[in-house]
Amino acid sequence: MRRWVALAGFVLCLVLAWAVPGAAQSGGDAESTEQTVVEGTLRLGFDQFFSGIKITVADEAGARVGQAITDADGRWSVEVPGAGTYLVTLDEASLPDGVSLREGYESTTPVTVAQGASRAVVFAVGEAPKGTPFGERAAQTVFNGLKFGLIIAMSAIGLSLIYGTTGLVNFAHGELVTFGAVIAWFFNSSWGGLNLIVAAILTMVVCGMLGAGLETGLFRPMRRRRLGIFQLVVVTIGLSLLGRQLIQLFFGAEPLPYSDYQVQERWEFGPWAVTPRELITVVVIFAVLVAVGLMLHGTRFGKATRAVSDNASLAEASGINVNRIVVMVWAIGAALAGLGGVFQGLDTDIDPFLGFQLLLLIFAGVELGGLGTAFGALAGSLIIGMSTEVSTLWISPELKFVVPLAALILVLLLRPQGLFGIKARVG
Amino acid sequence: MPDDLTPRPEPGPAAGEIEPILTVPPEVGAPKPNPILVVDNLTRSFGGLRAVDVDHLEMERGVVTALIGPNGAGKTTLFNLLTGFDRADTGRWSFDGQPVTSPSPDQLARKGMIRTFQLTKSLAKLTVLDNVLLGAPGQVGERLPVAPFRSRWRHQEQANTERAEELLERFNLAHMRDELAGTLSGGQRKLLEVARALMAEPVLIMLDEPMAGVNPALAQSLMRHITLLAYEGLSVVFIEHAMDVVTGISDWVVVLAQGRVIAEGPPWKVIHDDEVIDAYLGRRRAGAGS
Amino acid sequence: MDFDIIFGNAARAAFGPEAVILALAAVGLNVHFGFTGLLNFGQVGFLLLGAYGTSVSVATFGWSLWVGVVVGLVLSVALAVALGFPTLRLHAVMFAIVTIAAAEIIRILIGSTDAIGLTGGPLSVSFDAGAFYDLNPYPDGPHDRYGIGTFEFTGQQLWVITVGWVLVALVCLAVFLIVRSPWGRVLKSIREDEDAARSLGKNVFSYKMQALVIGGVIGGMGGVIDAIKTSGADPNGFRPQVTFFAYTALLLGGSATYLGPVLGAILFWFLREWIESFLRQLTAEAWLPDAAADFLDGTEGVISVAMVGLALVLLMLFRPQGIVGNRTEMQLDAR
Repeated sequence: MRRWVALAGFVLCLVLAWAVPGAAQSGGDAESTEQTVVEGTLRLGFDQFFSGIKITVADEAGARVGQAITDADGRWSVEVPGAGTYLVTLDEASLPDGVSLREGYESTTPVTVAQGASRAVVFAVGEAPKGTPFGERAAQTVFNGLKFGLIIAMSAIGLSLIYGTTGLVNFAHGELVTFGAVIAWFFNSSWGGLNLIVAAILTMVVCGMLGAGLETGLFRPMRRRRLGIFQLVVVTIGLSLLGRQLIQLFFGAEPLPYSDYQVQERWEFGPWAVTPRELITVVVIFAVLVAVGLMLHGTRFGKATRAVSDNASLAEASGINVNRIVVMVWAIGAALAGLGGVFQGLDTDIDPFLGFQLLLLIFAGVELGGLGTAFGALAGSLIIGMSTEVSTLWISPELKFVVPLAALILVLLLRPQGLFGIKARVG
Repeated sequence: MPDDLTPRPEPGPAAGEIEPILTVPPEVGAPKPNPILVVDNLTRSFGGLRAVDVDHLEMERGVVTALIGPNGAGKTTLFNLLTGFDRADTGRWSFDGQPVTSPSPDQLARKGMIRTFQLTKSLAKLTVLDNVLLGAPGQVGERLPVAPFRSRWRHQEQANTERAEELLERFNLAHMRDELAGTLSGGQRKLLEVARALMAEPVLIMLDEPMAGVNPALAQSLMRHITLLAYEGLSVVFIEHAMDVVTGISDWVVVLAQGRVIAEGPPWKVIHDDEVIDAYLGRRRAGAGS
Repeated sequence: MDFDIIFGNAARAAFGPEAVILALAAVGLNVHFGFTGLLNFGQVGFLLLGAYGTSVSVATFGWSLWVGVVVGLVLSVALAVALGFPTLRLHAVMFAIVTIAAAEIIRILIGSTDAIGLTGGPLSVSFDAGAFYDLNPYPDGPHDRYGIGTFEFTGQQLWVITVGWVLVALVCLAVFLIVRSPWGRVLKSIREDEDAARSLGKNVFSYKMQALVIGGVIGGMGGVIDAIKTSGADPNGFRPQVTFFAYTALLLGGSATYLGPVLGAILFWFLREWIESFLRQLTAEAWLPDAAADFLDGTEGVISVAMVGLALVLLMLFRPQGIVGNRTEMQLDAR
């Protein structure tokens, strides 16, 4: 959702104007025949051209080198001093009402131009977003927020349960999410081309086994060797680095999509336009969360898990096989994280940093709710997801991750134990 | 006065004079002749559970007061509230004649209210000597601008070290001086914590189960030492779970049950109090810690 | 395979400016984590402000480099104070996550297109560090080289690392002087149990804040050196993993020791560069199957960082106290 309000462009211009007050104005009167130029045409379709739109060109250090206003045919061009990389900025505030940049285009774009060449810059404008009423855009971002929050929540379950039962903060949890997304991609696009649904189920099995393997093969032996909790956390940091780099090694650094369910018609529900893919994402995650909730509160395993979270040695003494519970928690948590990765990959494409980017938001969600409370983690994740997406109504999307992180810091300022956490007694 | 273990203002009663505390009637909330701590209407709830609910309580200066009660009676919570480690829902209290307005643990400690903890908090990776030295009040070398210049804090450090060594001697820890505190046994850690608290030159020392886990002979000597300090003017409050051990060493006993003071008085009177016996035997409840 | 080249490169990295920067980051972290127990996972934020404070002052505002250095350090202090007030009362785990988040917030804001006019945004910022190189006493002609084999520096590089290592030495001395004092004893007591420190009248918040500021400024110095070395700053150079690298260096050398973090930083860069150089040489070997060579080609950096991760895991498994740490102390941690 790359929608910008006029204010952002205006503020940007202010910042630029303030930061480079006396920058040289170039253009027009050229002495050399060999001009180096950036240029372009602003139009919609083949018949609608925009005049009077302000374009600013700055050099890499941010100093302004020139400005142009589009003519009646929507054309503009700015002469630049020579070869190099320049930043071309479209003043969105000067676009007519109901017209804005299309999704995927930034108002500022860097271009590289060779000496004596002219380089065309494309700003694709479209009619859509500005025309939609605020209420409708708000409804859409709320849906996106819900979807994103649910993905975070599902990925957070494992982190929260592992912390609850073993006290370990797993920094490699983000890589479990990435691993899920990537393994599903290999099943789906690389080996054999399995349908994504089949691939997702296989992925959960693989991730679950990986989680159980990490616990039995690494963390349990380490606990047995009486390593402190900090050492274990450092191990997860090491695993996180190792995992991310290995994924990059085998998958590559470039984002790739799954081969199924990419192009879909949007269904209209009142103010919402939703693809079936997104709807399935929301419904499936919701079902999974309900199932996990029922499991934690209704089954023997769930009760045992909560008992271990409450007091592991007491649980052990009352006949609960703590080791088995912890392995199960790892397996289930990793499987859910993997599935979260598949949904996130479906939403944004897959890259080796997908999980690590989510990790901070997962942490934020878990902390916002209060460490170790399952309901709190869900509520916190939804708040994080919502605030991330809804904030794009007012601020630029590249800053959207700032909002939930800032919200986290603010909440902890007022309630250090999180929204639903309980303070422990001293002594 | 580096070797002075008793920095209290009030001298004890002169020989032959009757202890003023003995003139106090054994009633809940009875006023004391010279209180160090006065508590009014203090409450603290956890969820629906009222952990502490004290209408009025005074603790006498210069005597050993035992705070007893069954598990979950609210003894540690009361300690936490008074020393600023937990926040009361309602209530006021005054320490050493001054109302405690915004209780913060470190401020109260600097005023002379020093506590120890039920689960010992020995500083595992500091040496035994450093543990005790940490307690010394008013160290100039603890201020950052002074810290890099050893000459400015060396003399005070030496004096403190001498006093710390004396304390270690008294608690049979002198031979462990340079060991890391984490290597001590549980009982030794309790002693270390008491030594550290005494190093802080307290006016009122509040000990949370100081004898739990300490071997009986050492516990006896610890408490003898403490009674002696009380005689010299230190005010002592200690939590004890078991009723029988308090009789020999306390001047006054306050009994807590379900957060309320149900009895107070001299030990030989309190242990025969029906309500106290009920609290321990009849209506005994399993609670979440004491 | 030429091991002289491999070792030369590794030694160059081990004593080069990157190692200085990492050493400063790790020494600062040692004050936070090693001595005070503050689980600061946002150390990179201090480096970022040190680097950007210097760069932006010179590039955008046209101030002198020395003013820029001061601005960079002042910004690090400001971050420590601003971060400390809301967060120092938090549970250790929460503190860790909030500090990561704060550093990321700063990086995203500074690297955003909205900030281009001020910080260069995603395009990075560059400035003229001439004022620093004017003081360079080493002849710096086009053919002046100092060192042997591939272990060699230009005059400018040698000047940066001379200043850098002198700074590291001074910082270590300062840290030693304050930590062996009663002040340092309070810090360690807070690390062990802050309630115990509180019960003895120590103002825990104030000491934590002092530690946060000191460690942060030391990190900020790393950022300043980084800015001078590269004559600029790039938001991509300040990702969360920089903090993890600093932890790796700290734990490799030995947390809560005086020289551990410096040794750790040197070793960190030595090993990382050794692996990269080794892989580069390996790719060129004739006997290596083509498939393997193709796979390895261009992935040296990826693999060497993966090895950092592996090293962290192995370190915790086999030598959690680091090179110069004390094993018994370490075991007291396990509860």
